[in-house]
Amino acid sequence: GVFAHLEMLEARAHEAAVKQEETEQQEEKLARLKARVQELRLQRDELRAKVDLQQKGQLGKEGVLSDPAQPSARAVLEWKIKSVKAMLQVFYLTGISGKLTKRGVCFCISTAYEGTYLDSYHLDLLTKAEVQIHRHSVPIFIPLEQIAKKYLQTDIRRFLSVLSDHLNAYAGRRYQADQLQDRFSDRIEGTLQRNSLCNLLVFNYNVSSKSKTFPFNVRLLYGDLCCSLPTEVTVSCTPDAPASLAETAAAHSDLFRRVALHKAFRSFSSAEESVD
Amino acid sequence: MDVTVAEYIRRTVLKIPRDEIKTMLQKWGFLSETQLQTINFHQIKENISQDVVQLCEENSADIKQAAVLDIIYNHIYPNKRVWSVYQMNKTVVCFSCVTGEETEFFDLTDFKKKFKRRLRSALKNVTINFREYEDNAVWIRIAWGTPYTKPNQYKTSYVVYHSQTPYVFISVSVLKSNLPLLCQALVVASNYHDIHEMELRSHSLNSLKDIVFKRYSQNFQTYYPRPLQERNVAPENGDLRIIQENRNEKERIQRVNQEVFGDGPQPKLEFAQYKLETMFKSDPKMDVLDEKEPFRCLVKFSSPHLLESLKSLAPAGMADAPLSPLLTCIPQKARNYFKIREKKGFFPGSFVSP
Repeated sequence: GVFAHLEMLEARAHEAAVKQEETEQQEEKLARLKARVQELRLQRDELRAKVDLQQKGQLGKEGVLSDPAQPSARAVLEWKIKSVKAMLQVFYLTGISGKLTKRGVCFCISTAYEGTYLDSYHLDLLTKAEVQIHRHSVPIFIPLEQIAKKYLQTDIRRFLSVLSDHLNAYAGRRYQADQLQDRFSDRIEGTLQRNSLCNLLVFNYNVSSKSKTFPFNVRLLYGDLCCSLPTEVTVSCTPDAPASLAETAAAHSDLFRRVALHKAFRSFSSAEESVD
Repeated sequence: MDVTVAEYIRRTVLKIPRDEIKTMLQKWGFLSETQLQTINFHQIKENISQDVVQLCEENSADIKQAAVLDIIYNHIYPNKRVWSVYQMNKTVVCFSCVTGEETEFFDLTDFKKKFKRRLRSALKNVTINFREYEDNAVWIRIAWGTPYTKPNQYKTSYVVYHSQTPYVFISVSVLKSNLPLLCQALVVASNYHDIHEMELRSHSLNSLKDIVFKRYSQNFQTYYPRPLQERNVAPENGDLRIIQENRNEKERIQRVNQEVFGDGPQPKLEFAQYKLETMFKSDPKMDVLDEKEPFRCLVKFSSPHLLESLKSLAPAGMADAPLSPLLTCIPQKARNYFKIREKKGFFPGSFVSP
C-alpha cells in the first residue's frame, strides 16, 4: 500500500542523490586534471624558454654552434680507454692473453678452479729465428720442457693449450688439497702427505658409524696431469672395522673419483649430520 | 743416556737464542708440556741447557731424537749455513723419457727407503734423519762416520729436496769426500740419472729456492690490469725554487730498473764472482802482456744483499742504467759464479761459459 510506495519513492530519491554526487565528483576531478594540464604546459614552456636562452648564451660565448647531444672529445677518449680496458680484462679472464714485445710475445696463463681465480704464470717467447722460451715463471715441476719439445715449434696454439691444461689442473688439485687442510683439518688424522704436483695424496680420516669413529686410509693418485680428479682411488679401513663399513669405503672411493675433494668431505659431514 | 748424546743436546740448546728455546723444544715434542713447565727459561743459557739435558736423561733420549732437534734448529735458522744448488738430470737415453709419457708420482716412503739403503750399503756408520715440511720439502740430516768410527754428530750435511723438482740444496760443511756418495744416493732415491753442481751458492736457502723455482718477481710485459703505481715524484713540500733539472733522466733510470729487476724484493745473495780469462788490452806502445796470453783475474762483488744493492746503483747515480747484463742475468741464469773468456770472433760481447 502506501508505505510500500513511500519506500519506493525514498529509494528512488536516494539513488538520484548518489548519482548526482557521482557526477559532481567526476566534474570536480575533470576540473582538477584540466588545471594540472595547464600547470604542466606552463612548466614546459618555461623550460623551453630556458633551453633556448642557454643555447643563445652559448652562441654568444663561443661563437660556435655546439650540439649538446654530441659528447666532447675528452668524453669520447675516456669511453675508448674504458672499452679497451674492458676488452683486455675479458681476454685476461679467458685464461690466455698475450702482448707483443720487441723480440717476440709475452703470454700470460691464468688459472682458475670452479669459479675461483688462482695464480697467473708468464712466458716470454722469442720469435725472431725459431720460437724459444726466453724467460718464464712456470713452476719447475710442470713438465714445460717436454711440452715445448712436442709443440712449441709446430703449433703454438696447441702448446699454450696443453700448458694451460697442465697449469689449471695443477692449480685445481692444489686448491682442493689446500681447502681440505684448511676446512676439514678436524677430520684428518695426522698429516696430509702430498707432493709438489699435488698428484699423490695420502691421508687418514675419521668416519663415524653408530656413534663410533673408525679411521679410513685413502690414497689418491692423479695419473693424468691435465685432470684435477684422481685416476686411482684406494680407500681402506682397519681389519677390525665392521663389515658394513666396507660399503661406505666403496661409496667414498667412488665419490672421490667423481667429485672435488673438499666437496666430497662436505657431503660426508652433511650426510653424517642428517643421520645423527 | 749416552754421554755424547747428552753433550750434543746441551750444545744444540746453547746455539738457540734464549727467547726461542721454549718454542723450539715444544716443536721438538720430545719433552712433555709438564716437563717444560719445570724449566726456568729466564736463567742463563748454560743452566737452561743443563736442565734440558736432565729432562732428556729422564726420557732416555737417543741420538735419533737429538738429531731431530738439530734439524728443527737448522730449519728455523738455515742462513747460518752456506747452501749449494745441485741439478739432477734424466739422460735422454732412458726409454721412458724419450716417450715422455711417464708421470712423476714421488712416493715419499719409497724415496726415504731407497736413500737410506743406498747410503748405508756404502757406509754403515751414518745417522740419517728425515723431516717433511708443509711446502713439500724433505729435509735430510746426515752425520758422517767412517768404516771404523761412529758417526760424528758435529760433522753433518744437510739436504733439502722438493719432490718432483730436479733441484737439490746441499749444505756440506766439512768432509767433502762424502759428497759423491751423497749425490749417488740422491739420484737413486729420486729416480734421476745424474747430478751436477750448479754455480749458485748463498747463505739464504729461501732465496736460492726463489731463483731456481722462479718464484722471484720477474717483470713480464702484459696487459694484466694492474693498478697504476703511484708516481714516486710526489710534490715535495720543500722549496719550490729548487727545480729537478734531470727529472727525465731520473724517470728513465727508474723505468729501466723496473724492467730489469721487477717490482718485488730480490733474492738474497751475498756475492757474485767473475773469473776472467780474457786478454789484457793495453796501449800497443806499452807492450804489457798485450794479446800474448789471457790476463787471469778474479772479480768478486760482495754485499749483505747483492741484488738489492745492484738495483740501487743506477738510482743512486753510481752506475749507468741499464747495468751490464753480466750483473743483471744472475737470477735468470741461476748462477753467481761466472767464467768469462775471450769472445770468439762473431759472438758479440764476452763469452760466458755455460
